[in-house]
Amino acid sequence: MPSDQLSTTFAALSDPTRRAILARLVSGECSVSELAEPFDMSMPAVSKHLRVLERAGLIARRRDAQWRRCRIEAGPLKEVADWTEHYRHIWEERLDRLDGYLRELKAKEKSHGRKHK
Amino acid sequence: MVVSTNSGTFDVTMPSEQEIRMTRLFDAPPQLVFEAMSKPEHVKRWWGRLGEGYSVPVCEIDLRPGGKWRFVNRHPKGEAVFYGEYREITPPSRIVFTEIFEPFPDSVSVVTATLTDEGGKTRFTATVRYPSLEV
Repeated sequence: MPSDQLSTTFAALSDPTRRAILARLVSGECSVSELAEPFDMSMPAVSKHLRVLERAGLIARRRDAQWRRCRIEAGPLKEVADWTEHYRHIWEERLDRLDGYLRELKAKEKSHGRKHK
Repeated sequence: MVVSTNSGTFDVTMPSEQEIRMTRLFDAPPQLVFEAMSKPEHVKRWWGRLGEGYSVPVCEIDLRPGGKWRFVNRHPKGEAVFYGEYREITPPSRIVFTEIFEPFPDSVSVVTATLTDEGGKTRFTATVRYPSLEV
């Protein structure tokens, strides 16, 4: 697993403002000032968050006339989803096997308790 | 957010962006579940995949705070090594440990496992907190 990219993505997602920015971008491209609007935040502060998101590959920015437009990039988010799914799968299998083994242990205890089966 | 459910006994949620929480109900008392999770002769029987070509040839557990653990999963294509350190041990209700998959020694996950008695059954909850970089 490319753990570095994943760590960068998780770190970028660890901030609620950045998650809110991503949520806004899900419904379509917008400019930096449109993104800044709902937050009580200076433009440089918003730009700093956008840089983090851009470095993590979660958004892409392009210059459109005088406006910088931002859009969401799905790749890294899919990687997060895949990683989560992978972990879930490993644990689910492990716990299924533990469940089976516990049944075995209980059955053994029972038969030992009765001396004879 | 509930990510997945499976026949009502297995649940996965993400309490934060850096955590995955899995819960499962076992039809056995916490003492038995705790033992099955913390003694090598038990762990070998369920931790790795079962079947032809699969085994857990190494299962070392030093069950005390600061004690190390190391499990080797043998599979048909080779071996996968996992290791870590116990941080907290409160039988039969709680174990906290770190988990490292050998190819990625810098990625340290912290697993908090809790066992709660539910009328003779055990509600098992594992919260896995995975590493992140500062930005």
